[in-house]
Amino acid sequence: MAANRAFERVNEWNGLRGFANLLRKENRAWWGTRRWWVNALLWTGMLGGLTGLMLFVMPSLAEASGDPEVAAMGGLVPFGMEMGRSVFFQMSSLALAIGAIVLFQDAFLDEKHSGVAEWILSKPVARRSYVLAKLVAALLALPVLLIALPSLAAYLLLSLRGAVPFPVLPFLGGVGIVSIHTLFYLTLTLMLGTLFNSRGPIMGITLAFLLGGSVLGGLLKPLLFVTPWILSKVSPLVAGGQPVPAGMLWAPLAATAFWSLIFILVALAKFERTEF
Amino acid sequence: MIQPVDNVIETNGLSKSFGDVHALRGVDLAVPRHSIFGFLGPNGAGKTTLMKTLLGLSRPTSGSGTIFGHDIVQESVAIRERIGYLPQQPRFIEYLTARENLLFAAKFFFNGPQAKIQERCDEMLELVDLADKANRPTKGFSGGEKQRLGIALAQVNYPDLLILDEPASALDPIGRQSVLEIMERLRKYTTIFYSTHILDDVQRVSDNVAILNHGQVVTSGPIEIILSGKDGVVYTVTLKGKADGLGQRLSDLPWVTHASAKARNGSTIWQVSVSDEAAAEASLLRHVLSDTTVTVTEFSRKKYELEEVFMEIVKGDGDGR
Repeated sequence: MAANRAFERVNEWNGLRGFANLLRKENRAWWGTRRWWVNALLWTGMLGGLTGLMLFVMPSLAEASGDPEVAAMGGLVPFGMEMGRSVFFQMSSLALAIGAIVLFQDAFLDEKHSGVAEWILSKPVARRSYVLAKLVAALLALPVLLIALPSLAAYLLLSLRGAVPFPVLPFLGGVGIVSIHTLFYLTLTLMLGTLFNSRGPIMGITLAFLLGGSVLGGLLKPLLFVTPWILSKVSPLVAGGQPVPAGMLWAPLAATAFWSLIFILVALAKFERTEF
Repeated sequence: MIQPVDNVIETNGLSKSFGDVHALRGVDLAVPRHSIFGFLGPNGAGKTTLMKTLLGLSRPTSGSGTIFGHDIVQESVAIRERIGYLPQQPRFIEYLTARENLLFAAKFFFNGPQAKIQERCDEMLELVDLADKANRPTKGFSGGEKQRLGIALAQVNYPDLLILDEPASALDPIGRQSVLEIMERLRKYTTIFYSTHILDDVQRVSDNVAILNHGQVVTSGPIEIILSGKDGVVYTVTLKGKADGLGQRLSDLPWVTHASAKARNGSTIWQVSVSDEAAAEASLLRHVLSDTTVTVTEFSRKKYELEEVFMEIVKGDGDGR
């Protein structure tokens, strides 16, 4: 139509057509609604609060109950630091994985069921753009809201309790491991969202993998090298500058990153063939 | 010289199966440019499946199709660049307002200038009479408002083809009227391919029609040809009085192919099918009036209603599956 010529047409590669617009929409869903501050408060409050409890309250309670560990570790402060660091990293691995599962289990389902996905895909949009926009928006929101803010709170609390800045590099190492662990569950959830049409299997499979992992890993030790199951135990060690058992760091980290990539590729392939 | 018909949509033997269910069975369709093409069929006949297949939302099991000469499977993005689509139940991004939804849809096609894009969105809101609700989140929109916003969203990119899936089926008479008026206004800009089972609407706005039943196109063509009926030209003569032997006398005429009568409210209604329209116009009434014992109270050429044609075609089977 002639009126059309007054506009600058979108000039994107067909293989990623619509990506920029979809990413804006996904980012808006995160940052343009109450979603961002609800999540920021929830995860920072929960993990920061738990860490604060371990740092400032638990040592006194342990000492009052005559726990010999307090003296063995050199007093209230070292005991609290150990407790705070361990609990933060172990709990954040578990809690953030659950957070990723809960937040992203309906990333595809809602729009598939409501008809929004069908409407969007009736526009000049490549299907991989649709999947990647959700993933990239998640990779922007999740590290900030679920990982960086709670980690910053924990870091400040640890530094406050120790009365000196907590060593930054080991702490960041621990946070990096938690991030890769969370990424695994995020991509697994997204992939399952393209494979199934109801929440049941998505929640069931992801939570069973997360919670059943430690049991299964205990029974079949080699699995610990090719899954993220050991990472929640490794991250506090790395953050505390403590030695990690041989082969328990890089192999599971590489395997976890590898699986995440596979999940993304499967999600892209499956969504390409999905019918609406 | 005969010009070839310029078709926007063409399908050849397009089929789609879901397991054992054959939703489309070898659909051959040609939708001429700048037509309002009504796509009819009972529930489950395959109308939505065909639309989704044309849009690349579903893959054909066999057969092929083109839109603007582009293959519907291989060149779907290029096709969707020039299409506007209204799903059966329009859905939007609920946390966005009507204007924001339009902007979102427009940005799939245009990068700028921003002022022109905004202007286009305002124009669309005016077109569907939603300018006063432009800044309301769409979550609270009524069915009619959603339908009208859906049409605005489908039209925002100046599409060369609008595909509308049951655009008026969920609306009250006023909403339906409004949607039909919008379609008539858009007629000069674009080709409209729409599905419906509201036959009055089709007869009012469409210039071409296809009827789908059991996943097959059972008839297709310009509406005036469809409405002329498969029996050719038929005249209706309503008489009072006894008309013994009239049937025989009519059947003896060389251009009468069939004559039948039925009684109603003290009158007899004759349906006379003819092969020569001019001869029938000149002398059919005269032949009837030659019998002085009868009075003719009505004489007209029979006009079919689309409903009659539709019911004849899908007779005895309300479910098109």
